[in-house]
Amino acid sequence: MKFSDIDVAVIGSGPAGMAAAIKAKEEGAEHVLILERQEQLGGLLHQCVHNGFGLFYFGQDLTGPEYAHRFVEKVRDLGIETLLETMVTKVSGDRKITAVNSHEGTIHLQPKSIVLAMGCRERSRGQLSIPGTRPAGIFTAGTAQRLVNVEGFIPGEKVVILGSGDIGMIMARRLSLEGVEVKAVIEILPYVGGLIRNEVQCLHDFDIPLLLEHTVTQIHGEQRVDAVTIAKVDKDKRPVDGTEQNIECDTLLLSVGLIPENELSRMAGVALDPLVGGPVVDERRETNIPGIFAGGNVVHVHDLVDDVSWEAEIAGAWAARLAQKGDHEKKGKIALRAGRNIRSIVPQTISGQNDVTFYIRVKEMEEKVQLRVGDIYHRAFRVVKPSEMIKVNLLQKDLKKLKEKITELNVECERGE
Amino acid sequence: MAEEKIICIGCPLGCETTLKIDDQGEVVKITGYKCKEGRQYVLEEYRSPVRVLTATVLTQNSVRPLFPVRTNKPLLKTHLKEAAKVLIGVKVKPPIRVGQIILPNLINTGIDVIATDDLLN
Repeated sequence: MKFSDIDVAVIGSGPAGMAAAIKAKEEGAEHVLILERQEQLGGLLHQCVHNGFGLFYFGQDLTGPEYAHRFVEKVRDLGIETLLETMVTKVSGDRKITAVNSHEGTIHLQPKSIVLAMGCRERSRGQLSIPGTRPAGIFTAGTAQRLVNVEGFIPGEKVVILGSGDIGMIMARRLSLEGVEVKAVIEILPYVGGLIRNEVQCLHDFDIPLLLEHTVTQIHGEQRVDAVTIAKVDKDKRPVDGTEQNIECDTLLLSVGLIPENELSRMAGVALDPLVGGPVVDERRETNIPGIFAGGNVVHVHDLVDDVSWEAEIAGAWAARLAQKGDHEKKGKIALRAGRNIRSIVPQTISGQNDVTFYIRVKEMEEKVQLRVGDIYHRAFRVVKPSEMIKVNLLQKDLKKLKEKITELNVECERGE
Repeated sequence: MAEEKIICIGCPLGCETTLKIDDQGEVVKITGYKCKEGRQYVLEEYRSPVRVLTATVLTQNSVRPLFPVRTNKPLLKTHLKEAAKVLIGVKVKPPIRVGQIILPNLINTGIDVIATDDLLN
């Protein structure tokens, strides 16, 4: 393979990377290359054997492998080049990529544009500071998912799950169906972390107790976990004395959030948004480094895979355009400001020249609100929740209503219908 | 008169609805829903709550010991555990293409278990 004339290089081949590469190719980029560290395309989709993928993107209820399969076939059909079992070790601010594999050794690339699509990783025990011993039997939910669905190991017999994220709840169901006793799902917040359909179909269907406003305060066991202590928490999330109870278990799964994986972005000097953990991007999903784009969970963690792919397509399309026509776009000059009850907004800046897909997360659950973007857009919501991302599409013609030389655009939830 | 509580999963609101059921098992009243789609959902969820079952079966490939499958249609949720048990003993051989039937007529429901990936070697 010739590595000298790559137009668009995509790092990662999950639902973001494949979608970005396909879009880049469809938009006319000639040499599109996907770099993937695993032995196959698809990223985490292979271990997500449950359904619920593609309901919006394909209008069909697919499993993770089926969703991956459709993209893999398109990657092949379009002649997109792939380097598997290839680890990108460095990305520099002048768009040089260093990667290694056991066939070619060290590979140096200078693509015209890059799409970052590395996805995210799970928060682990070290980031939670749970007191107690250090026994075996503590896994992140995603690790357990890989063990159960790909490698064929059942991690334990009696399981407690800390955190009510979607992967945790999906593992509660999966393990129950495999005959494992799931004793409880423990959530520190007053509401469930993941989607309602998962609460109903993964927990209620299997009579698994969900303990809200509770947390694990102690892990017990020498060689192996033999119990955890849980306690109720007050409104400042501090354990309440006298509410402790022990749950006997041999396994603790952690489903306590995902963090965009941005080691390579940092190396390249890409500016990160501390609120979402990923690159600051404009509406084209270009970072502060010209020619470096990003899409999907590497930018911010989405709820649905469909949005991961859609967002990465935006990055892929603009990366292709830059590779073909050079860097002539007007850059984002209008900063989005998070107003009342808004936690985060992606993209963080816009140019005002192109259509925009916004992804917005609220801080707290609230009923009957108007979501407002400046004075050019508003929409009524019966309810907004931190666990359900809001998507807003604004067209160029809407943005024309913006005043000249505007530098900030406020996004807020207004009370009332 | 019996009562059943069903959470609507149609939107993030997650309305908790209450169904009043007469002695013949007929729904006589639903309260707590906030839209007509929600009412329809809880009615169907009461009459026949169905779910797609997803699982894995065994292969003879040491690099890839498990292979993902699902039911081609949703089955009654009361059948999920029994159906999952049947799948535990199933072993597949390549070549298999995505969508191919792995196990027909799962526990006599008329529903088939299909492959959700390719297994070529």
